[in-house]
Amino acid sequence: MQITKPQIDDFKTDRKDIMHPLPVILRLVPLLFYCSIGVTLILGSIFFIQSRIAEANKNAHIEQTASLTSQTEETLKERTALEAKIKKANDVQAWVSSSRPIQPLLVDIARSIGPKSSILDLRLERVPESPAQIKLALRLATDSTKQLDLTLESINRMNFRTFSPVQALGHGELDYRATLVRQELREKAETP
Amino acid sequence: MNSKHISCAIVAVFIAILIQVTLSLKNNRLKAQQEARAAEQQESDALDHVTKERLQLSDLKRQSADLIEFLRIWQSQFDLINTAQSAEVNFSMLVRNSGLVNLAQSFRTEAVKGNPSILSELHAELVFEDDYIQLLNWLGKVENKLPTMRVRDVHISKGSRPGDIRLETSLEQPLIAK
Repeated sequence: MQITKPQIDDFKTDRKDIMHPLPVILRLVPLLFYCSIGVTLILGSIFFIQSRIAEANKNAHIEQTASLTSQTEETLKERTALEAKIKKANDVQAWVSSSRPIQPLLVDIARSIGPKSSILDLRLERVPESPAQIKLALRLATDSTKQLDLTLESINRMNFRTFSPVQALGHGELDYRATLVRQELREKAETP
Repeated sequence: MNSKHISCAIVAVFIAILIQVTLSLKNNRLKAQQEARAAEQQESDALDHVTKERLQLSDLKRQSADLIEFLRIWQSQFDLINTAQSAEVNFSMLVRNSGLVNLAQSFRTEAVKGNPSILSELHAELVFEDDYIQLLNWLGKVENKLPTMRVRDVHISKGSRPGDIRLETSLEQPLIAK
């Protein structure tokens, strides 16, 4: 069926007026949009790359820190082991210092006794709290203290000093007690 | 407001989103850089710490060199006799081989006080009566032969025969902790 021209025109609505143009400032908005895309791409790339670099640096520092921490722990372990060894060495040294031969002292005391005197009783005993110190208890058959002086000289020559001496003379017997302390204990390292 | 204004508003929103994205990337970069700086600081601290510890260790090694050498020398001596049985056998052999008149001998293990590295010792109590020269020589030989052994006490008195002496002594053989 054919529609006549006037009928077609009837379908059209009335055309409105053309809209007003945008103000000049708003015309910059599309331009700003394109610029912002460009700036975002450029700056975004820069920031992204810098972030990656910083991330890589951070990881490298963390790895290095872990390695250094591990080295510190090893050093601490070594130090702890060395300290234990030093402690043991000190203990051993304390024992060795307190176990110096006592026989030379006995022999010297015996040799110091003159023909007119004799040893009735002689005791050398280490002080339990300080074994490097020796308690001397000597009972001599003698009439004077001259023999004791000779014996003490002999003890001094062995680098022992006497402390807290007590002596009693009577009935031809001389009783002498003292604590002996060896001098220059740490002068040089002892060897077996 | 017409459609042009609406379009402008939509484009402005997009611009704001782009600015926001850029700022977000910038913040991420700053955060990453701060974290990297913090990690660098931690590394620097760790380096200082390890350097300090190594320095202290080397100082300690230098200061204790003599003591450690002392321990090295003596350790072998302490290791020679490190059980109560071996110490007892050793003392018994020394007494038997001396040919001296041995009146009594007894052995017991005791704890050592105040020396954590030497936990115990074999305590030997010996009584002799013989020639005084031989006895003193024997005691000297024992002290030389067993450098770690300690004479706790020695008591000399007259013997029952002329020229003899009675020697009572307590000897301590340390048994070092391994």
